[in-house]
Amino acid sequence: MESKLKSKVLQEFQQATSTLVNPALQSWKDQGGKVVGCYCSYVPEEVITAAGCVPFRIRGTGSTSTDLADTCLSSINCSFSRHSLDMALRGDYAFLDGATWVPTCDHVRRIYDHWRRRVDTPYLHLMALPKKVTDVQVQWYSEEVAMLRDSLAKHLGITISDAQLWDAIKLHNETRRLQKHLYELRKSDNPPITGAETLAVMVAGTAMPRSHYNQLLRQLLEELGSSNGHSDQRARILLIGGILDDPAYIEVIEEQGGLVVADSLCFGTRTMWELVDEQESDPVAALGRYYIQGRPQCPRMFGDQPKRSAFIKQMVKDFRVDGVISERLVMCDNWTGEQFMFAEDLKEAGIPYIRLDREYIMAGVGQLRTRVQAFLEMMGR
Amino acid sequence: MIVGGCDIGSATGKAVIMKDGNIIAWSVVPSTTKPEITARQAMDEALQKASLTSIDDLDYIVGTGYGRLKVQFAHENISEITCHGRGAQSLCPSVHTVIDIGGQDCKVTSLTDNGKVLEFVMNDRCAAGTGRFFEAMARVLSCGLEGLSSLAHNSVKPANISSQCSVFAESEVVTLINEGYELSSIVAGINHSVAARLNAMVGRVGLSQDVAITGGCAKNEGLVHALEDKLKAKVMKLPVDPQIIGAVGAALIAIEKAQAKVEA
Repeated sequence: MESKLKSKVLQEFQQATSTLVNPALQSWKDQGGKVVGCYCSYVPEEVITAAGCVPFRIRGTGSTSTDLADTCLSSINCSFSRHSLDMALRGDYAFLDGATWVPTCDHVRRIYDHWRRRVDTPYLHLMALPKKVTDVQVQWYSEEVAMLRDSLAKHLGITISDAQLWDAIKLHNETRRLQKHLYELRKSDNPPITGAETLAVMVAGTAMPRSHYNQLLRQLLEELGSSNGHSDQRARILLIGGILDDPAYIEVIEEQGGLVVADSLCFGTRTMWELVDEQESDPVAALGRYYIQGRPQCPRMFGDQPKRSAFIKQMVKDFRVDGVISERLVMCDNWTGEQFMFAEDLKEAGIPYIRLDREYIMAGVGQLRTRVQAFLEMMGR
Repeated sequence: MIVGGCDIGSATGKAVIMKDGNIIAWSVVPSTTKPEITARQAMDEALQKASLTSIDDLDYIVGTGYGRLKVQFAHENISEITCHGRGAQSLCPSVHTVIDIGGQDCKVTSLTDNGKVLEFVMNDRCAAGTGRFFEAMARVLSCGLEGLSSLAHNSVKPANISSQCSVFAESEVVTLINEGYELSSIVAGINHSVAARLNAMVGRVGLSQDVAITGGCAKNEGLVHALEDKLKAKVMKLPVDPQIIGAVGAALIAIEKAQAKVEA
């Protein structure tokens, strides 16, 4: 599927996605601004923004080998954890003024351990992350948010006021509204933007100063309003999975004619489909509620699978999806079980579904192409 | 109407020529490092067997297999998953599950009553249970691929091979050789370990009878027996070489496409 957009803004997003330090982030750094890394979408990035820093989602973009990481990790660790740690060990994350973790899974927890020992980042903070999603865990996670707020403020020698937190929440909610608007455009018969392009927009949002990003995204939305949509697709695809930040992966799917019109990804709807409640009295409680209950959850959470399944089915309906492609990183135990449960749920609902394995740095394009082509043929497309 | 199907796999290239729905010639050639040349060689051999002088004698050609994008004379390409399903069921209408064991992939496909793909799974990025795996085992046992097929028959007690990884399985086999195990018992063990892996893949799409095995490895009778044992189902015997089923399916699809073209 050929890109129809000749947008400079989109190019800026794509550039930000294909590198770690984009020009906007560099100029923020040059002006003395601080950047704090987040190792998972469960780090409440609003707290980092409220502290006057730019939250940056840690990736392994541009990594070509894992030889440094493999000195302390093994082949049971997923390729995302290995590539991202390798980059840190190589010094590629020297631009970070701090980094924050949640124990998303055992792989990520080990990264924290090794990062702490071997990488010279001025500030490191590991949050606890509950496994369940009841009110008890909302309370627990809220306390973790408060602890991050105190710890980061203490490190920076500042205080983070409630008003600053609310400002950050409003700024991040604005991002979510704009991103959701972008997704709404893809509901049309002729979506003006491909799935690969959309992923670049989403990833860029985790790597740029937030106000600047919002401004660019507003501009892109204006441009899209007057652009011609895609009409040569064989099928409309919903893509679901874990940490996918490489638009080239979606490009392979779209080259076969499967236009990705929606997703459940942590560089996608899961981080923006719902908003933090701005009517709550306490910003910390509002964040606690949002991250544990308010938004579509990652499969690492227990007791929430039926809700996740319902979300997928609703997306299929709303975006008039023909088939669902689910990807997971090899060795990702959270997604392994989830893929099979989705397979059963979607089969029952009569929705075509295929599960794919992936390495973080794209390999095996031929196999991917065959699977996607066969999937489209299976749907009679 | 004369049509062609050309299946370019990782190990071999296959071509099938059909006239009025019947196979009139077919070929299997070893893959070269250039898929476009493999395709040409396979098709030229089939043309010669069919006593046709030119590829232009074919009304429509469909390419399939790993090298399908490089079959330059094909009018269209279709994935091998669709082609193996179509080929197997047309030759044996009761088939609803196809296990394709090729050079570098194994795939399990379940089919509807009219030969459409209902669901499929492919092996993960790993050589276990593929032709490459058997080649590696045949090499370490110095018995050739034919040996893997025939030797297992005499064995009543398969050796236990736990690893699904080709490299580690090879180490296990070396250990067994050094412990003095009978060759036939090791070969049976290899076939049983691959059958176990394929059984798990069949379980994912759900077994719906009858079952056919396609691809080069279907010629390994030891494996077929081990699979029947695991699946608790009989594997149907296909009336043609199982290695050409993908090309047969491609040719059958070529007929449909050619007819559609005529009508259009």
